[in-house]
Amino acid sequence: MKKRAREEAKQGFMDPIKLEKKILTRNDHVADQVRERFRFAGVSVINMVSSPGSGKTSLLEKSLEPLSDKLSIGVIEGDIQTANDARRIAVTGVPVHQINTGGACHLEAAMVRDALGHFDLNGLDLLFIENVGNLVCPSAFDLGEGARVAIISVTEGDDKPLKYPAMFHTSDLMVINKTDLLPFTDFSMESVIENARSTNPAIKILRTSCRTGEGLEGWMEFVRSFAAL
Amino acid sequence: MHELSIAMEILDIVEREAQNHGAGQVTDIRLRIGDLSGVETDSLRFCFEAVRGEKMVTRHAELTIVRVPVRIRCGPCDDEFEGEGRLLRCPSCGGLDTELLEGDELNIIDFEVE
Repeated sequence: MKKRAREEAKQGFMDPIKLEKKILTRNDHVADQVRERFRFAGVSVINMVSSPGSGKTSLLEKSLEPLSDKLSIGVIEGDIQTANDARRIAVTGVPVHQINTGGACHLEAAMVRDALGHFDLNGLDLLFIENVGNLVCPSAFDLGEGARVAIISVTEGDDKPLKYPAMFHTSDLMVINKTDLLPFTDFSMESVIENARSTNPAIKILRTSCRTGEGLEGWMEFVRSFAAL
Repeated sequence: MHELSIAMEILDIVEREAQNHGAGQVTDIRLRIGDLSGVETDSLRFCFEAVRGEKMVTRHAELTIVRVPVRIRCGPCDDEFEGEGRLLRCPSCGGLDTELLEGDELNIIDFEVE
């Protein structure tokens, strides 16, 4: 068969080679393996995505200590460069590993797989993966997570879900952060919720402020019930 | 710019499959890309042209991109529609009791060789 194909190719009348497969098959495959490891070790995994500066790290800083009461938690930090976020998390006493992508604008499943050696997976209940700050690229890359959380802050436009529909379409929860700044912005809660739901009718929604503490209990409740699944 | 990662994956997949089929030069690669895939066509073309020379078999390959608009099925309307503005809101009743039928694809359809 191969020989015939080669002969035909030489004569220039070979049929197109049909694939009809996902371009990111390899990442999906690694993600499935990673997910299986998490399942086997009993670890619930949350992939946190947002644009830069919307408060992913702050949300973790505020909630890791209270959550650690009943849960054994680990954090993977993804950034293009620097270990600044990992240092912030380390202060809370939670085991953390920093991935520097060295230019790549998103985490891939293989990076997560390679980071798992830094954790005692069997001892963990919950792993947060803080993705690279970017509302476009991380959406296409499954990391083997059980839940994806998109964070948006009120200093960003309330039309973000319309501009970046893939990210909100693939997320289970949208956290609207920095609500303490609402009086100083034109951000409309109603619009952002409407916009997020029109990309993903099933998306859950929470509001938080890491400064005033508003909504943090709701966020932690979401995390606790997810980890209990 | 995750389009660069995507372009590299395309090259790897096509190179492997071309070898499996004993094919020579790849001339055209057809992709099916949904409007809700988060991939920007121009950016993908740019990245692909920048890296296609890295593999012998893809040096002269061109991309043909078939865009797939968002299509939804609305429960209450019991009908299918094209989703306006890449959204899942039903353009007829305005409701959100909808499901995505297509539009999030990121696939290689096939490729031509000589």
